[in-house]
Amino acid sequence: MANRIKKKYMTGKIYFDYPMLFLIIFLIAFGILMVFSTSSYKSMEYFKTPYHWVIRQGVAVVIGAVAMGFFCKLDYRVFQNKVVARSCYIISIVLLGTVLILGAAKKGAIRWFQVGGFQFQPSEVAKILMIIYLAYTLSENAHRIVKFKDAMNIIFRCAPIILLIFSQNMSTALILCAIVGVMVLVISPKTKELMIAALAFVGLIVVYLMSTNSYRNERFAIWLHPETHEKGLQTMQALYAIGSGGIFGKGLGQSMQKMGFIPESHNDMIFSIICEELGLFGAVCVILVFMALIWRMLLIAMNAEDLFGSLLVIGCLTHIAVQVFINIAVVTNTIPPTGVPLPFISYGGTSILGAMIEMGIVLSVSRRIHL
Amino acid sequence: MGSVALKTGYKKKILGIVILMFSGFLIVTIRLGYIMIAQADKYLSLAKDLHQRERQIKAPRGRIYDRNGVMIASNKAVYSISVIYSQTTEKEKVVRILSEQLGLSSSEIKKKVYKNSVREKIKSNVEKKIADRIRKYKLSGVKIDEDYKRVYPFDSLASKVLGFTGGDNQGIVGLEVAYDKYLKGKSGKILTLTDGKGIEIDGAGEERDEPVAGCDLYTSLDVNLQNYVTQACKKVKKEKKAKQVSMILMNPQNGEIYAMSNVPEYNLNQPFKLSKRVKMADGKKQQEYLNKKWRNSCINDTYEPGSVFKIVTAVAGLELGKVKVNDHFNCPGYRMVEDRRIRCHKVGGHGSETFREGVMNSCNPVFMEVGARVGVDGMYETFQKLGLFERTGIDLPGEANSIMHKKKNVKAVELATMSFGQSIQITPLQLLRAVSAAVNGGTLITPHFGVRAVSSDGSKETVFSYPVKKEVIKKETSETVRELLEAVVSEGSGKNCKIEGFSIGGKTATSEKLPRGTGKYISSFLGFSRAKDPVVMGIVLIDEPVGTYYGGTIAAPVMRSVFQMALPYLGISRDYKAGNQEKNSTGQ
Repeated sequence: MANRIKKKYMTGKIYFDYPMLFLIIFLIAFGILMVFSTSSYKSMEYFKTPYHWVIRQGVAVVIGAVAMGFFCKLDYRVFQNKVVARSCYIISIVLLGTVLILGAAKKGAIRWFQVGGFQFQPSEVAKILMIIYLAYTLSENAHRIVKFKDAMNIIFRCAPIILLIFSQNMSTALILCAIVGVMVLVISPKTKELMIAALAFVGLIVVYLMSTNSYRNERFAIWLHPETHEKGLQTMQALYAIGSGGIFGKGLGQSMQKMGFIPESHNDMIFSIICEELGLFGAVCVILVFMALIWRMLLIAMNAEDLFGSLLVIGCLTHIAVQVFINIAVVTNTIPPTGVPLPFISYGGTSILGAMIEMGIVLSVSRRIHL
Repeated sequence: MGSVALKTGYKKKILGIVILMFSGFLIVTIRLGYIMIAQADKYLSLAKDLHQRERQIKAPRGRIYDRNGVMIASNKAVYSISVIYSQTTEKEKVVRILSEQLGLSSSEIKKKVYKNSVREKIKSNVEKKIADRIRKYKLSGVKIDEDYKRVYPFDSLASKVLGFTGGDNQGIVGLEVAYDKYLKGKSGKILTLTDGKGIEIDGAGEERDEPVAGCDLYTSLDVNLQNYVTQACKKVKKEKKAKQVSMILMNPQNGEIYAMSNVPEYNLNQPFKLSKRVKMADGKKQQEYLNKKWRNSCINDTYEPGSVFKIVTAVAGLELGKVKVNDHFNCPGYRMVEDRRIRCHKVGGHGSETFREGVMNSCNPVFMEVGARVGVDGMYETFQKLGLFERTGIDLPGEANSIMHKKKNVKAVELATMSFGQSIQITPLQLLRAVSAAVNGGTLITPHFGVRAVSSDGSKETVFSYPVKKEVIKKETSETVRELLEAVVSEGSGKNCKIEGFSIGGKTATSEKLPRGTGKYISSFLGFSRAKDPVVMGIVLIDEPVGTYYGGTIAAPVMRSVFQMALPYLGISRDYKAGNQEKNSTGQ
């Protein structure tokens, strides 16, 4: 592999990760198809047209494509700058703080701003900003992070943002924890200690969830007994969908569960409909495509020109991987239910826009691979 | 810049992390495989339950016919109208048209049309004509479903025998319950796919399971006889201002019941109709009223049979050889039993008489004497033989059983009263069955209505058979009893049932109702013809007549009026010419 890339470089061609671009396009196109399949019935019911949601998704994808192209062409090294990194940090806090205050004013947690006809989730933006901020901070201080204390120091700097997100959306906060954790783990030489700390953290979270208020406690109860729990309906509906798919599925568009049985089936639960329509075969294919995408990102991270670029890719990689895992684990009731969209596929403008910007950055890093 | 920015240590770690992530993916993939292969059947069937809505197609209930093939219960196609909220586009119009056509207030319909439910029933039992008219408007969201309604063409005829059906076409009382298994058929179903709100999905294939119509039931009832009987009962009920008049007409040879009437009857097409007074009362009172209205006294209620029961005592005496027809008795107007003086109905007494005369006079002291001769064991043995300790086994629900003293508690006084039909309680049908055995040569039959059930396409026929006990008493005893009872009608207390040219046997009774001394009586008469070869037997009971209450005076004429029409109708030829009567009946 290295030889091949080297050969291309020697012949003067610029490297660009076409396989990765293909995977992204495949996932997005597949996503639009599935959003159409899952939402058309309910769209007919509510809006008298089957295209309501798929058009909105299409618009988000077009905007996302422009943004991806922009960030791809943009040299990622413009972010490698103290001012940019600090701005990222401050903007995150301001955005999240504003949502918090607006939410308090409306007497209830809210997760988004209304911008025009679109809802816009600051926590999605904060993820990208955190990746840039952390990639800068870690790459600049890589040689100074020696002790366990140094690693923890970096982590604690991210704590305010994570806590702000945590107050609104626990699952996003946990994804961010994973991103921060992975990025710090890669740089810090204190691997063992950090692993132990991570395990302790996970343990702490579990204890917290089990012991605190009924809302979170309830999720454990649903997870353990979805058949009997009064709020286990959605989980059971997802399982009905998955289970009725069988090996080759009912065929595209043939899902029954999307017809009002799974609420918001084009959203976080979309994977269950993929299973129902395309079967185990289709579901495994989707997982394999995600794994291939992650593998491409891994190669880019390993071969990036500089540590900053490498860390950017690692952050994005972690984000996509963790989110895919949580989403599938939730619909299969492997972990307690929480609302996390399936990257590229689930309906949701901010989610797809965020993911595509990240892919733009990763592709930008790939373009500068020198070997 | 040729060197790789990421140090080898970093690379190893990131590789390790990605491998860790991939193992996470592997775990969820395994979990997926488990759900989609190992548990696929379970979730598939659960999902199918969720998606399929079963719509029943009702099976038409079997019809009921009388012995001559006259239909006495059938079905009418009716329609039920309902609206589906999500499919109703022109709600205003729907409300207007439905209220016009169905004659319901528009506010009532509006409430249902605007109620956000899957399916709201507006009205059931809508006539075809109206349903067709509504269908012509082609209103979206308005569903018209076919249904069946039970109809009884003769309204109240044999109401307490036939019974009626409920909302789901299931039998509630009477033959409709007893033969529900045959009549109800098997409902079919349409399985359709529906979405989360229960709305049927267009174009989704439906599975259909055709209904099987119920079997038709052929009974032993005869509409004409039932009519005669009911008219006769009505007439006497009116004349005597009686509370109730019951009558049964049966073939004593095989137990087929031709007619069974309990006047007042009720309209089977409106079984739940309440009287004005009861409408005001609470639910419990209303239910009590209805239960009473539906009650078939011939089989559900017991009474003290009184003098008709002397037939049983006579059987016991003759069968056990304790009395002969010409044995002499003396009636001073009473009989001392232990320290009690039990009176005869004739205050002055009948004086010296033979057993035959005692039967004709319905003389209590004679029967007390016979009872005493037979003894408790003999009496109870006879009761047993004549089926008085068991239900008759008639094919109607809720049959009552006799109420008798425990044998060890029967002392001389009880034995004496029992021998003329007091201090025991039986149903009129039990009595009819016992007397049938007494006069038909000793065969204990099972009274019944059901003859056969025929499947709707005629391909399958079930002929019902009923238990029969032969020779429970001797032929000679039966012959003697017939002869004695013929004498009762031709010369004795039952002469009000005499019809020129026909030989008739019978026995009258006047039972004072419990508690004694209230002046309430049941007057009854049991008769059969022909006397030597009984092919029809009837019993009539007049409950609480006002004025004259002697069975021989008021009940016997009712039986005569029925026999006058029923005997020629049943093809029973005259036994003798009118002129020969004297000669025939004075041969004693």
